Amino acid sequence: MAEVTYDSATCIYPGAERPAVNALNLPIEDGEFVVMVGPSGCGKTTALRMLAGLEEIDDGSIRIDGKDMVGVPSRDRDIAMVFQNYALYPSKTVGENMGFALKMQGVDSGERARRVREAAKLLDLEEFLDRKPRNLSGGQRQRVAMGRAIVREPKVFCMDEPLSNLDAQLRVSTRTQIAELQRRLHVTTVYVTHDQVEAMTMGDRVAVMRLGQLQQFASPTDLYDHPANEFVASFIGSPSMNRFDGTLESDGVRVGQVLLRPSNRLLQGASGHDKLVVGIRPEHVSVSVSGDLTVKVALVEDLGSDSYIYGSLADEPDSSVIIRSGRDHPRPGEVIKVAVDTSHLHLFDAGSGERVGD
Amino acid sequence: MTAIAPPVAGTHRVRARSDERRRGWVRRAPLLPALVFTIIITQLPFVVTLYYSLESWSLVRPGSRHFVGFANYAQVFQDSQFRTTALNTVIMTVGTVFIAMVLGVLLALLLDRKFLGRGVVRTLLITPFLIMPVAAALLWKTTLFDPTFGIVNFIFRPFGIGKFDWIGSFPLGSVMIEMIWQWTPFMMLLVLAGLQSQPKDTLEAASCDGARPFAIFRELTLPHLRRYIELGVVLGAIYVVNDFDAVYMMTQGGPGISSANLPFYIYQRAFLGFQVGQAAAMGVVVVVATIIIATFALRLIFTSFSGTEQAA
Amino acid sequence: MASADVTAVPATRTVEPEQYTGPRAKRRNNSLTWGIVGWVVGIVFFFPVLWMVLTSFKTEAEAYTNTPHIVFSPTLSQYKAVFSSGLWPYVANSAFATIVSTILVLLLATPCAFALSLRPVKKTRDVMFFFISTKMLPVVAAIIPIYIAARDLHLLDNIFTLVILYTAMNLPIAVWMMRSFFLEVPGELLEAAEMDGAPLRRTVVEVILPIVAPGLAATALICSIFSWNEFFFAVNLTATQAATVPVFLVGFISSEGLYFAQLCAAATVATLPVVLAGWIAQRQLVRGLSFGAIK
Repeated sequence: MAEVTYDSATCIYPGAERPAVNALNLPIEDGEFVVMVGPSGCGKTTALRMLAGLEEIDDGSIRIDGKDMVGVPSRDRDIAMVFQNYALYPSKTVGENMGFALKMQGVDSGERARRVREAAKLLDLEEFLDRKPRNLSGGQRQRVAMGRAIVREPKVFCMDEPLSNLDAQLRVSTRTQIAELQRRLHVTTVYVTHDQVEAMTMGDRVAVMRLGQLQQFASPTDLYDHPANEFVASFIGSPSMNRFDGTLESDGVRVGQVLLRPSNRLLQGASGHDKLVVGIRPEHVSVSVSGDLTVKVALVEDLGSDSYIYGSLADEPDSSVIIRSGRDHPRPGEVIKVAVDTSHLHLFDAGSGERVGD
Repeated sequence: MTAIAPPVAGTHRVRARSDERRRGWVRRAPLLPALVFTIIITQLPFVVTLYYSLESWSLVRPGSRHFVGFANYAQVFQDSQFRTTALNTVIMTVGTVFIAMVLGVLLALLLDRKFLGRGVVRTLLITPFLIMPVAAALLWKTTLFDPTFGIVNFIFRPFGIGKFDWIGSFPLGSVMIEMIWQWTPFMMLLVLAGLQSQPKDTLEAASCDGARPFAIFRELTLPHLRRYIELGVVLGAIYVVNDFDAVYMMTQGGPGISSANLPFYIYQRAFLGFQVGQAAAMGVVVVVATIIIATFALRLIFTSFSGTEQAA
Repeated sequence: MASADVTAVPATRTVEPEQYTGPRAKRRNNSLTWGIVGWVVGIVFFFPVLWMVLTSFKTEAEAYTNTPHIVFSPTLSQYKAVFSSGLWPYVANSAFATIVSTILVLLLATPCAFALSLRPVKKTRDVMFFFISTKMLPVVAAIIPIYIAARDLHLLDNIFTLVILYTAMNLPIAVWMMRSFFLEVPGELLEAAEMDGAPLRRTVVEVILPIVAPGLAATALICSIFSWNEFFFAVNLTATQAATVPVFLVGFISSEGLYFAQLCAAATVATLPVVLAGWIAQRQLVRGLSFGAIK
């Protein structure tokens, strides 16, 4: 159990145009479950591997429990890593895999066996202790990888997309298992994924990254309700947020022919930023006869309980609009009127993408 | 929807079976040329050798050929020279293969690391394997081991060696050194294949789990290399056991028969002594011994190889 | 509301390697030590070959010195002597035997290996077992009947005898190697071609052969090396017409006595083709020797 602090941590590969991880600042509390999420190439895996000691810390530092880890090799950091492809030791049995780190620490075989059995019970692996990894299914191997990390009682868990090789159903059930396990063991965990649903459901706080740079580090709710920039707004939430080009006027925000009227506070906060990107989530627009926007429906996804209407603004055929609706929904080809809940409007500066107004 | 008439049961089954048989032959046909060719060229001579081994026949006395039953075999087993050369063969094979493998592992570990000019060094290290064996044997005998002009003595001169006759004093050892020089690249390449096929993330996992580099080698790399090492040992042994060129060129088996191996000894009997029957009997004995040892060895390669195919 | 302070414009930095003294620089220093070790080992191991080539350019007087000369004035006289001693017929024989037997081996082994790679049956293991077992049988045991048969069929001193024997000698290796290359071809390719309506032979030629072409090259290289370097059959079954380069080398010594420099020249000429081929096609050599395991 320990605090983890990324302090302007940077990693540059020799000859690369930009740093893989650029001056990352993440203060992580003891026992916290932090998820790093972002599109591929954003640096999240590199940042995780810097913590584990598998990538160099070229500038800045990373501290575990206050101790600087620059130049410290992986074996001395007391972190346990769960790899995307599990990285189980093929020539060893499940029991030997899980006990390996303890063996390296010099723990005697009796104590090792006991701790391995405990972890195996926790993960339902007791009957597999004598099997080799090649005789296990994907889900079982994943559990062994987790077990190997748990047995060690390390300061930090590092997890690199541990669910991405599982089938969809197993992924959901394992997700909850991991979250529960972490809550029970209270070990500081840094978890990397490209799946924003995993990020939102598992993390205490989530770090959204892009091209090596941190975009926002906040709780899932904050990320959802107050995205710091346009990228976070579009990345978090599924289906993604609607975004329109708009201009700031004295009494509202103009989108195409329509003038939207958010709160005065928002308008005042946005002053000085004339060109805007206006964001509104699908659940905050609705089909309504008295709506301001005119939308032509392209297709409708009926999910049973809800449906999502995909279309475009009538006067801007290249735009895209997503509206959440119920079972009673329009047909493709129809032209509908859509109302906007202006209390949930997000405004971003069109140039920098930064959030403005609040 | 049109109704489909159900097939007549009997004809359907018969048609399927002859279809199967034809497909079976189509599948087997490509095998046959290679198989038949090999059987004729390799098995027929062996059968004939068996037949010759039961005769007393000297090529210099053509009329003397007659059937003697197992007399040749009795002679073989009483022949102390045969025993000596058999022992030499075992020493030569085991020694060469073992040392070449150890060196091969060390060189492979070296080549697995990145350094400037690694490709060139690999080229240099592969070369001994490419050198014609007779040329290599000659090279070692003359420019390296020669008592007066050889490089080896020159290098050891500061240690007070002087004009030491390596080949005369250590015939078996000298031949072995030459063979080790030629076979180490082969072992090295096999082990290198093994090293490079190790998944990197298991090594990283071991690092995170607190293992120092030597522990990683002992616990992970060595078990992984096992099947490559086994393959190298078996294949190397097959070739070294039958090696003729080195003995012929370096020592002609001498002094006496101290460096003769079985292939050379049998060759002497057949082509220098012209004693076909005896040579044939020796050949058969060697073949039988080889088959026994090989059966165990082959079981080893097959489990190694099917394991490799599974893991791939 | 916890939000990170994000700098407005990402700083793009290219940092020169020399500026770092951190862990990455330390690792680069390590590779320097390994580099030195690697080069020393490489040169020591290669030294006999180097010495052979050097000596081949010396005069006999310079070769026969107590203290080996590294600096000397090179001469081509040894090579002239070698080439004027009737080398070319031997080279022609070696080339013929090597090329023809290798082509035969590929023609026989490729369909065989393909059939063995399709669907593993118990018979597959038996056949593979049989092939590799033929290599385990000591050649010496078979030489007598082969010699006598060749003599009786008037095939002694005939290059085709060697061609046949080399083919049989390399066939097991070729089958084994080609099978491992065929096994790497994904089964889906065959199925896709079948769905596209291609008959089996066409599929093999147009789809599969291009994929295993590097494997074919590797096999051809290995077989060529073994054929060119082969001595035992050549020395026992040939005399003047069909003698190959290894026989020439041995004959060269006996007739000329032991002249180091000339010897080295002859040896260099004899080994040069295979060494060059191995160097140029190194990747293929590596693939072949490791049965396709290293790319």
